[in-house]
Amino acid sequence: MPDSHEPSSDDIALIGWSISPMVRNTDKTEAQLLLEVITGAVENAGITRREVDFTCAGSCDYVAGQAFSFVQNIDAIGAWPPKRDSHVEMDGAWAMYEAWIRLQLGDIDVAVAMGSGRSSTADPALIYPMEMDPYYLAPLGTDAASFAALQAQALLDAGKVTERQMAEVAARCRRDAQGNPHAQVTGDFAVDDLLAEDYVRSPLRRHDLPPITDGAVAVVIARADKARELCANPVWIAGFAHYSELHYPGMRSLTSSPSTTLAGKAAGLEEAPVEVAELQSAFTHEEPLLVEALGLGADVAVNPSGGPLAANPIMATGLVRIAEAASAIRDRGKHRALAHSTSGPCLQQNLVCVLEGQTFKGAAK
Amino acid sequence: MSGHQSVVLRGEIRVAEAVQSTIQFPYKRSLGPVVGAFMTALTDRRIIGIRSGDRVIVPPLEWDPDTAEELAHDFVDVGPAGTVESWTWVASPTVQHPLDRPFAFALVRMDGADTALLHAVDAGSIDAMSTGMRVAPKWRAQRTGHITDLEAFVPGEEPVVPADDAGPVAEPVTMMDYNASITYTLPVTPNAARAEKANEEGRFLGLKCPVCGRTYTGGKGYCPVDAIELRSEHEVDLPQHGTITNYTIITPVQYPGQTETEPFARVHVWLDGTDVVLGYQPLLETPNADVHIGIRVSAVWASDAELADLASNAEGRLLGWMPTGEPDLTDPDLVDRIQ
Amino acid sequence: MSHQPCAIVGIGQTHHKKARRDVSYAGLAREAALRALDDAHMTWSDIDAVVVGKAPDLFEGVMKPELYLTDALGAAGKPMFRVHTAGSVGGTTGIVASHHVETGRHQRVLAVALEKQSEGNAQFALGSGRGASIGAGGAFAPYMRLYMKRTGAPDDIGPLVAVKDRRNALKNPYAHLQLKDISLETVKASPMMWDPVRFLESCPSSDGACAVVFTDEAGGKAAAADGRPPAWILGSAVRSEPSSFPGRDPVRPQGAVDCAADVFAQAGITNPLEQLDCAELYVPFSWYEPMWLEAHDIAAPTEGWKMVERGDTALDGSFPVNMSGGVLSSNPIGASGLLRFAEAALQVRGMAGEHQVDGASVALAQAYGASAQYFSMWVVASSLDPFGA
Repeated sequence: MPDSHEPSSDDIALIGWSISPMVRNTDKTEAQLLLEVITGAVENAGITRREVDFTCAGSCDYVAGQAFSFVQNIDAIGAWPPKRDSHVEMDGAWAMYEAWIRLQLGDIDVAVAMGSGRSSTADPALIYPMEMDPYYLAPLGTDAASFAALQAQALLDAGKVTERQMAEVAARCRRDAQGNPHAQVTGDFAVDDLLAEDYVRSPLRRHDLPPITDGAVAVVIARADKARELCANPVWIAGFAHYSELHYPGMRSLTSSPSTTLAGKAAGLEEAPVEVAELQSAFTHEEPLLVEALGLGADVAVNPSGGPLAANPIMATGLVRIAEAASAIRDRGKHRALAHSTSGPCLQQNLVCVLEGQTFKGAAK
Repeated sequence: MSGHQSVVLRGEIRVAEAVQSTIQFPYKRSLGPVVGAFMTALTDRRIIGIRSGDRVIVPPLEWDPDTAEELAHDFVDVGPAGTVESWTWVASPTVQHPLDRPFAFALVRMDGADTALLHAVDAGSIDAMSTGMRVAPKWRAQRTGHITDLEAFVPGEEPVVPADDAGPVAEPVTMMDYNASITYTLPVTPNAARAEKANEEGRFLGLKCPVCGRTYTGGKGYCPVDAIELRSEHEVDLPQHGTITNYTIITPVQYPGQTETEPFARVHVWLDGTDVVLGYQPLLETPNADVHIGIRVSAVWASDAELADLASNAEGRLLGWMPTGEPDLTDPDLVDRIQ
Repeated sequence: MSHQPCAIVGIGQTHHKKARRDVSYAGLAREAALRALDDAHMTWSDIDAVVVGKAPDLFEGVMKPELYLTDALGAAGKPMFRVHTAGSVGGTTGIVASHHVETGRHQRVLAVALEKQSEGNAQFALGSGRGASIGAGGAFAPYMRLYMKRTGAPDDIGPLVAVKDRRNALKNPYAHLQLKDISLETVKASPMMWDPVRFLESCPSSDGACAVVFTDEAGGKAAAADGRPPAWILGSAVRSEPSSFPGRDPVRPQGAVDCAADVFAQAGITNPLEQLDCAELYVPFSWYEPMWLEAHDIAAPTEGWKMVERGDTALDGSFPVNMSGGVLSSNPIGASGLLRFAEAALQVRGMAGEHQVDGASVALAQAYGASAQYFSMWVVASSLDPFGA
């Protein structure tokens, strides 16, 4: 049973968010995508940009194709008069983490975190090798799908997943995504048809891979008193943590995700069951691996939004998971949900955010 | 090519215009003492690991990957063969991959190592691959101290040495080259497209914010002060006369892609009757020593013939700005502007 | 609400050089980190979280380097974070790391900021590979010209700063430039690079790293009791503003004014010239010293250059600035902001060696980025209450 004490002024909640359309190719600039979701998020929260005390963005120069690409993105914030503002070269989920930490200092009340990326502008398989060890991995052009495939094969060899189960994940996600206006890849696919396709990176087939997506997301978070003042249904951050693992995939086990387990624990996941889990499982085999790492029961709805297999706006995907989990609480009557984000080869770094609605009694310490 | 295609698309927007831009650079990386030792050993057809406690870490790091403790340079030869711990068949290699025919990436646990090395396995077909199979290095004839000195692993126990093997390098390897090249296709926004079209017609297009009244150039999509979108109904034609309000003379430095060899001026031009200051504009027909604040200038556009010859860093059809011969503007309140 | 005190108990930096070909990318980061841990009497296992700061990854061609650096910096099994706010990133790195402690979330946090820009080419990266790049100097030259015009500053002011900072660098064994023969004459005779700024008035391109260990009040007091006085953070602030819009003042940016007002208010500073003993300000081109003194309201308009002219900002002056030699003497871009913050902390800990300001107990550090639009600042002191409330 969680300690029962009332939410204190230390606690922080999401009070609004906005997810952009998720498309294969946008003709908008990243700054324009952000401008729209920031406007959407502050309107959703019932405030204006003026009332935002701190902003933090997650984006990546190499995805954008330009050094200092985030500098233009500042224009979307309306940073005039000048704003307290920061930027991480990480998924927007980590930008939200920085904003969450910042608000806990107690001197300001409202922050906006955002994530954006246009993956359509270049071939991800040529960009992602550059985030690997510069001597041993990058020169081999080892792309994200290859790493994912190595992990999938390890799971198959260990008997922890089957190709059929992976295809079932893909089919379920794209089917569930049909109800999600923000999804890009949707449809009813028969598992046997999927399994008849060729491998792209064995054992991964096309359906096991995420789409290439352009998109952005922004969320508004506020300290408790402000959140209650502005919002009838704040979605409370009950726990928020992230952990990393060593980089080189050959030096760690690929059949488990200890940093995900650590993050879940530190986020207070064990204190009470969640009903919904939005996981950044961009490759099908990652879902059962993460479900196991988080100790989720069969009754937990995983990626009801469709997840990254339905839309994968890199640098925003993780924050979209948080927004979708928040929607499950605010808009679809769930009480407790978790969102997960990841970075690096074979789930190197993992973040868990636990959200609660009306049942919230105070954050995990 | 990479297999990342959507099966069913919703809300796809076809892009009207796009610009291709390639970022490429020959990076030169220094290896440090441990990676350097590994690469040097590769030239000698040896794969080495580094000892950490009772483990042998391959490929070797300067630190223990679990504790970060600095490791003594206690190198250990591993192999010559190893066991595949995991693998994936790459049906369509990318240009960055080590082989241009289908191959496997694999994690190979070299005999004597406690961790697995990632590399290619040139097995010929997916049917020849399996977890647990034995592989050995196939060495490149000319080795420079690079992870690809190992051309790939091949099934079997015995290393494959080419007949024309050049042998190890004479000096320890300390550096490596990394040639990154990524081509981006960046969509041109409708505002930017209209601004470019106007430029081609010898016009400047501005966008005036309906809230604050500020005017922006270059097809900017929004006002950063009010964070609102600017659209075609906000477009205004801008004058082509102005005053130099600031300047600098640049002495060019050499770098890959540099086009200049002589010092060149870049001026700030404040367009008559507007709040627009165009920054860093080329100045024509003016010796660098004569450049000063207050000069009245007007825009000079390239003829169709000249357009064909323009260097890629020019501002579309705009060649630059040229003094009109009018008396200088000297009012300090009017010329004290950068933006 | 938690805003607990935060102490700096470990500082380390590399020997900054044009090219550190003796180390790998991780080796450069570790060199600074190991020195900081040593200074803090800690080992890797004592650290709870790591924050990495770096400027554009195009400088080295390693994207999201915190992934590769994770285990190199002892962050396997720990939270690892990477910030990027252009040139101010080093400052932001320190501030974000301090927040991790100030909120009570973590006890001991390591911040590392670095750049190994000799592996690429900074001009190339800044211009995204196009020809006729004007570089950072060319972009800022009009701002400096405008300052000179507004304030009527004599031409020598920039060169005076250039000489002062390089002479300070001779007392800093880590500084990149060691120009023993620097003088007003040599600076004024050096080639004009971005009129009105000459070659010797501008920063070098350096490889280097800086690391700082942050801990809580108990940790700070323990270090003090152990004869290793910490630096205490009295206040920190950041501000960003858009790059350009008609009417923006890039010489006295509003963000610079607001950031300073914020950090001074937190630190209880109402008279910066009197209450601050010294400052480390991000001065990559000589004229930025008087410009920042005025933009941050340390000096009244036109007083900035007069302070320089009088020698107030020299090491033995009334308001020393950039005792370490500053960015003008070492500029590994991603690390430079954290170096400013670290040097301010070294001063109030009495650990700045030959470039120590006698009795310094309150110091300011500032970093800025992009088109003078990102600002990060902090005030550190030898005690939590130096002005005696």
